[in-house]
Amino acid sequence: MDSFTAITIAVFLPFVLAGILPAVEKVLKDKIGWYASAVALLSLLLIAQAAPEVIHGETIQKSIQWLPSLGINFSFYIDGLSVMFGFIVSGIGVIIMSYSNGYMSKKEDLPRYYQQLLFFMGSMLGMVFSANMIQLFIFWELTSITSFMLIGYWRNRPMSVYGATKSLLITAAGGLFMLAGFLVLNAITGTFDIPTIMNNESIRELLHGHELFLITLILIFIGAASKSAQGPFYIWLPNAMEAPTPVSAFLHSATMVKAGIYLIARIHPIFSGTDAWFIMVSGVGIFTMLLAGFLAFRQTDIKGILAYSTISQLAYLMTMYGYTTHHEPGIGVAAATFHLLNHATFKACLFLVAGIVAHETATRDITKMGGLRKEMPITFIIASIGALSMAGIPPLNGFLSKEMFYEASVEMGHLLGGPYSILIPALAVLGGVFTFAYSIKLIDGIFLGKRPSKGLPDHIHDPSMVMLAPAIFLVFLIILFGVVPSIPVHNFIEPTVSGILLEEAHLHVKLWHGITPPFIMTIVTFAVGILTYTKYGKIAEWQNRFNARFPWISVNYYYDATVENAKDVTSKFSNRMQPGPIKTYITALLLLVIILFTVPAVLLAPTLIPSDLNFDIPAYEVIIYLFMIIAALGAAVLRKYLPAVIALSGLGYLVGLLFIYLQAPDLALTQVLVETLATIIFLLAIARIPQKFREHIPSKTLARDILISVAVSSVIFIMLINATQGIIPPFESVSHYFIEKSLPLAGGHNIVNVILVDFRGYDTLGEIAVISLAGFGVYNLVNSRGEDE
Amino acid sequence: MNNTLLSLTIAILFGIGTFLVLRRDIVRMIIGLGVLSHAVNLLIVSTGAFSGTKAPIITDNGGHGLSEASSSVFADSLSDGIFAPVLEAGHQVDFVDPLVQALVLTAIVISLAMTAFILILAYRIYEEYGTTDIKELRRLRG
Repeated sequence: MDSFTAITIAVFLPFVLAGILPAVEKVLKDKIGWYASAVALLSLLLIAQAAPEVIHGETIQKSIQWLPSLGINFSFYIDGLSVMFGFIVSGIGVIIMSYSNGYMSKKEDLPRYYQQLLFFMGSMLGMVFSANMIQLFIFWELTSITSFMLIGYWRNRPMSVYGATKSLLITAAGGLFMLAGFLVLNAITGTFDIPTIMNNESIRELLHGHELFLITLILIFIGAASKSAQGPFYIWLPNAMEAPTPVSAFLHSATMVKAGIYLIARIHPIFSGTDAWFIMVSGVGIFTMLLAGFLAFRQTDIKGILAYSTISQLAYLMTMYGYTTHHEPGIGVAAATFHLLNHATFKACLFLVAGIVAHETATRDITKMGGLRKEMPITFIIASIGALSMAGIPPLNGFLSKEMFYEASVEMGHLLGGPYSILIPALAVLGGVFTFAYSIKLIDGIFLGKRPSKGLPDHIHDPSMVMLAPAIFLVFLIILFGVVPSIPVHNFIEPTVSGILLEEAHLHVKLWHGITPPFIMTIVTFAVGILTYTKYGKIAEWQNRFNARFPWISVNYYYDATVENAKDVTSKFSNRMQPGPIKTYITALLLLVIILFTVPAVLLAPTLIPSDLNFDIPAYEVIIYLFMIIAALGAAVLRKYLPAVIALSGLGYLVGLLFIYLQAPDLALTQVLVETLATIIFLLAIARIPQKFREHIPSKTLARDILISVAVSSVIFIMLINATQGIIPPFESVSHYFIEKSLPLAGGHNIVNVILVDFRGYDTLGEIAVISLAGFGVYNLVNSRGEDE
Repeated sequence: MNNTLLSLTIAILFGIGTFLVLRRDIVRMIIGLGVLSHAVNLLIVSTGAFSGTKAPIITDNGGHGLSEASSSVFADSLSDGIFAPVLEAGHQVDFVDPLVQALVLTAIVISLAMTAFILILAYRIYEEYGTTDIKELRRLRG
């Protein structure tokens, strides 16, 4: 199997196998989670098949034509970056879905849960391998939608619904900005194909010099920032923690929130090397890194701390990808890519621990915990290694990538010169200090210190291996990547970095570099971090006081106000537009029709009543007209249902008769048949509806209704007699086509029949569908009777 | 060639249908819809584009069926952007317009489906609420 086929199957397999998941659930019952992990494992193996070529520095791209006229093809691009993401997504997918077997209660709606997880995984894989921007956008929004469904998994918890709505509003809207950016990019470059732009020097130069360069970058960056919870868009991620914890671990720390980072990495070759890129990406990154790291202090929910820490860690990645100068486009790329991989391991691990702790203690409030190390020794060790890696303690993998972050910051500061050579490294250290403090808080708050006397269950213990094994595997990776960094660096980081920098990359990552500036910065981080940790409670208190005093200094405040206001405005609008009584709607519609007909008629027609009226009509037709009017009047004025219905069916048969004079034999036939059937249905129905209600029409209403009817009547009359007068010059009738082609193309003499079954066969298909739907509707209405009796 | 009296009749049917649809009794509204659908069907048939008088059935067996209607030029190719006949001056068609008849034939059948559905709906409403008065129904539903 070639790589393209393997990747295509890896992307679509989760969708297909998720589709049949409910059927499989009938057989496997509550073991269905293992089926889902097997699907993820299959995708992982398929991606692994494409890996060797990529590790050797090749890139593969293949397309299938989709909308060639618009330049939109179904196209996969397989390079280091996409394969690394593919491994993270499917690998963490296997881990999470196995873990869910222990976490999710058997009473939950498991098929829906696993189905959506698999849909998400497929969308995410599709996104990272997309070479075409439009295709990327579609998968991108699919991940937003599946994320929305999974955050709102517990549908009847108001906070879940709030969190899900918030995430959808922010990420999906951000995606639309990204789409706009792609369209502008397409307008400038003339292609939707990302690798084409990436690999073509002249297109990139054209883009960099273009007046729309900045606006394109801003639009795409809004998409990335909203997805990765950067800048003011961070607010959705803490609320997304309402999802089941495995979902948070999978979507909202390891994969989906990294989609924005992925996009930044993907377009890095196209946009980097400019001032705008550095100011925007690194600027927003540094700001978010400090803000989110700082705000983590006042969180008391374990998952809340992890959410803010995720935002802050994603901001590290943004910052590093943003480091660029004209000569050195990718100073932090290697560091960012390595940290991205490491963050996926230690953060997923910490989320799994949070799930275990919440599962065993039935709370997520860190203030109610403490001293759990004796009761949960294995969990304690796992959590410590995960948190220490995040804090950047050697020899764990977090230490290595943080060193690289500091190194890149020093280099960036040095290249900018002036005050920046101090400022940028200083800000980086400050971010590290916050990270260190809340990482220690996680260990200390949950496992160390004294066990609170009340609020916790009496017997707490380590969970089963189903939940421990995935976390232990991640711990294994954390240590492995830290001690033998050449494994991830050689297999993932180097191919990825070469893909982004468009040149061969060779990295040397070691635990011990000697006493270098980054090492000194690490020492400073630990020292200041310990100092900060001693003041942890005071800082959190200060934040709470500040928040209580200035509630309006918060993005959430404006988000809530906007959403509430929007709800208010729309409900006012719909209450006004839909007051209730059906008569209002009908009257409004009729008035609109009258206006739509009269205004052009008055404006365009020379006279409303044309001169060439034709009263030369055979007497027998006139008699039919008279009877028709009488029948219709009968239907209107006869007070009892039965005579009125008979008058209506009389009208129907007269219409059938008239069709014969109008040279429409098919219509006459149909009309007579249908009218017979309609009369029978009518009689059957009114036989069951006793006529209890008699409307007494007040004279005022009567006058008004007659006025409306007469107005409608006059408008129709004027329209009809003018219809053939050529107010607007007519186009040639398409009927000529049917008349001429009926015999040669369809071999039918009856043109009406040929139109129905040949030329406009789909209309007839639709008509049949309507009939059967109406049949189902009638059947169900009749069947729904008497359920509550 | 228009037919003024037919137009007048259709217009009157429209008026009567409108009046019925504005009533409070659901059954009357359905009867009104019936009248309206007859009026609409007649309206469409009576506005066909041609002034021919023959039913649209090709009677001769000859060749390409072009004897009754000839000399249209078709450029039905999407790339040219034209998908319509181009006619010589003085082109005459003997038939009445077949297209409107085909449209109305579909409409007749669909209006049957609609009538059946809303009749059963009215019947179920009566069963559930014991009335066919719209105003009373609104009151009952609160």
